Amino acid sequence: MIEVEQLTKRYGRTLAVDDISFTIEEGEVIGFLGPNGAGKSTVMNILTGCISASAGRAKINGIDILEDPSAVKKMIGYLPENPPLYVEMTPREYLSTVCDLKGVSRDQRKMKIERIMEKVGITHVSRRLIRNLSKGYRQRVGLAQAMIGDPDILILDEPTVGLDPGQIIGIRNLIADLGKKHTVVLSSHILSEVQAVCQRVMIISKGKIIASDRPEDLSRHLFGGNRLFITAAAAREQAESTVSKLTGIIDYKIEAGEEHDTVNVYFNADDDRDIRRDVFNAFAEAGTPLLMMRPIDMSLEEIFLDLTRSEVEL
Amino acid sequence: MRAVYKKELKTYFLTPGGYIFMGAFLLIAGLFFTLQNLFSGSSDYSSVLGSLILIFLLVVPILTMRLFTEEKRQKTDILLLSSPVSIQGIVLGKFFAAVTVFLITLIITMLFPLLLSFHGRMDWAQIWGTYIGFFFLGSAFIAIGTYISEVAESQTSAAILTFSALLASWIIDYIRSFVPMSPLSGAIFILILLIAGLALFQRKAEDWRITAAAGVVLLIGVIIVYAAAQESLYGLISKSISWFSLTSRFQRFSMGILRLDAVVYYISFSAFFLYLTGSRIENRRWS
Repeated sequence: MIEVEQLTKRYGRTLAVDDISFTIEEGEVIGFLGPNGAGKSTVMNILTGCISASAGRAKINGIDILEDPSAVKKMIGYLPENPPLYVEMTPREYLSTVCDLKGVSRDQRKMKIERIMEKVGITHVSRRLIRNLSKGYRQRVGLAQAMIGDPDILILDEPTVGLDPGQIIGIRNLIADLGKKHTVVLSSHILSEVQAVCQRVMIISKGKIIASDRPEDLSRHLFGGNRLFITAAAAREQAESTVSKLTGIIDYKIEAGEEHDTVNVYFNADDDRDIRRDVFNAFAEAGTPLLMMRPIDMSLEEIFLDLTRSEVEL
Repeated sequence: MRAVYKKELKTYFLTPGGYIFMGAFLLIAGLFFTLQNLFSGSSDYSSVLGSLILIFLLVVPILTMRLFTEEKRQKTDILLLSSPVSIQGIVLGKFFAAVTVFLITLIITMLFPLLLSFHGRMDWAQIWGTYIGFFFLGSAFIAIGTYISEVAESQTSAAILTFSALLASWIIDYIRSFVPMSPLSGAIFILILLIAGLALFQRKAEDWRITAAAGVVLLIGVIIVYAAAQESLYGLISKSISWFSLTSRFQRFSMGILRLDAVVYYISFSAFFLYLTGSRIENRRWS
C-alpha cells in the first residue's frame, strides 16, 4: 500500500510536484498519465527514495520513506525511464549484481534469476553483453532488474517507450500478469497503454493530480451523466414527441441523420439511470424503429486533452 | 557496501580502466626499475620508490575518473540510490574497490625488490615503510579522485581535475616557501576565508541580515586577535597550506619510520573527502 500526503518537490524555483496526495491499495495497477514534464517521474523518484521531497510524506506499507529508507527500498522494484544498465555486463551478470545490491540471499539465487529471465524473455540473450542488445531487450533486462527480490510494489516509468508494437504488446501482457501478484504503478503518456493495463488512472499535469478514476468511469464522472447516441427511422417531429415523453433525461439534441428520413439523437441522462430500455421501448411503440444505439464515452485521449487544456487555460 | 565493492571491482576488469591503470603503472615502474637498478647494476631500490610518487599523480586519475561520472552518464546511479544500500555504503564500496586495484598493483611491484634481494642486501625496513606509506598516500589520492568524480560531469574533466589537484598537493611544499609570513598576511588570509564562508552561508540562509551580523562579529574577532595576539597569525598561510601537504608526511615512511600521526592524518584526510562525496550525493537528492 502506498500513501502519499501533500507531497511537494521544488527544483530551485520550479515546482515539479505541487502538494499531491493519493493512496494506492495493495494489488492495484495504477497508471500515472500526463504530458512530458508533468511530474510523473519526480513522484516515482520520490517514492523509490532516489530523490527527497521538499515537503510532505510518502509511506510504503506503513513505513515512511525518510524514516527507514532501506526497509522501503526492499519492498520496491523500480524501472526508471532509462533502464539503469551496466552495459559492460551480460544480463546474467547484471542481474546477479542487482541481487547483491538488493541483498537477495544466495540460496536459490541462480534459480530465481533464471525464472525472471524466462518470464521477461531474455534467457536466450543472457550471455550477450547488454551493450549489444536492442532497445527492446534492454528494456526487458531493466524490467527483470525491477523484479529481482520479488518486491511487493513495482514502479515502472514509461515501460514501453521506444519499443516496437510487438514488444509493446509483450511488455503490456507481462505487466498485466505482474499485476496479479504485485501492486504496479506505471507512468505513461500513451493513453491506450494505461487504458489497456490499469485499473485506475491518475492524470497528472503541472505537478498536480487533476483526475483519478477507473478509465471507464473517468468520462462519466468528469462530464456527468449517461450519454447515449441513437439513430432512428423517424421524422424530426416524431422523434421530438417520443423523446419529450421520456423521463430522467437531462438534455438532448436532435439532428437529421445521414440517411433519408432518419434522425440522430444525443441524450444526456441522469448519472444513475440506464435509459437504454426506455428509449428503445418508446421509439418501438411510436413505430419508429431504432437503427443504431451506442453509449457515448469520451476516449481517454479526449478526456486527457480536455483536462490538460483546461489546466493550460487556467 | 559489499555489493557496491564487488560490482565496482568487477567493472574495473570488465572495462579497460583497471587494465590501463595497472598496465601504465607497471610499465612506468618497470622502466624505472630496469633503468635505475638492472641496467646500472645497482641494488638501491629507494630511488625507484621515490620516482613512484610521480607515477601516482599520472595514473590515479585513470583509476578514479569513472567512479561516479559514468554512473551519472549512464543514469545507473538511480539503481544504486533506489537499492537498499546507504549512500556511505555506495561511496565506501567504490573507494575500497579502487584502493584494492591500487593495492594489487602495488603488490605486483614488490617483485622488483624481491628480484634484487637475490643479488644484494636490501634495506627491508625502508622498503616496507615506503610501501606502507605508498598505500596510505595512494588511498588519500584516491579519496580526492573519488570526490572529484562525483563533482565532475565527464570522465575527461574528472581526470584533468584530479590530476591538477594531485599535482597541487605534490608541489604544495614548494609553494609554501613563497607565501608571506607576516601577521597582517595571516589576518588577510582569515578575512578571505571568512568572506568565502559567509558567501556560502548566505546561499543557504538567504537572509542577508544574519549574514551581515555574523560578518561583523567575526570581523571584530579577527581585529581583536590581530591587535592582541599577533604572533598567532605569524606564518598562518604556510601552516594552513601544510595541512594539505600529503607528500611531506610521506617522507618519514620512506625513511623506514612508521609514525602513527602520519597514518591518522592519511586516514582522516581520506575520510574527509569520502564524507564530502557522500554529502554531495545527499545534497543532489535534496536539491
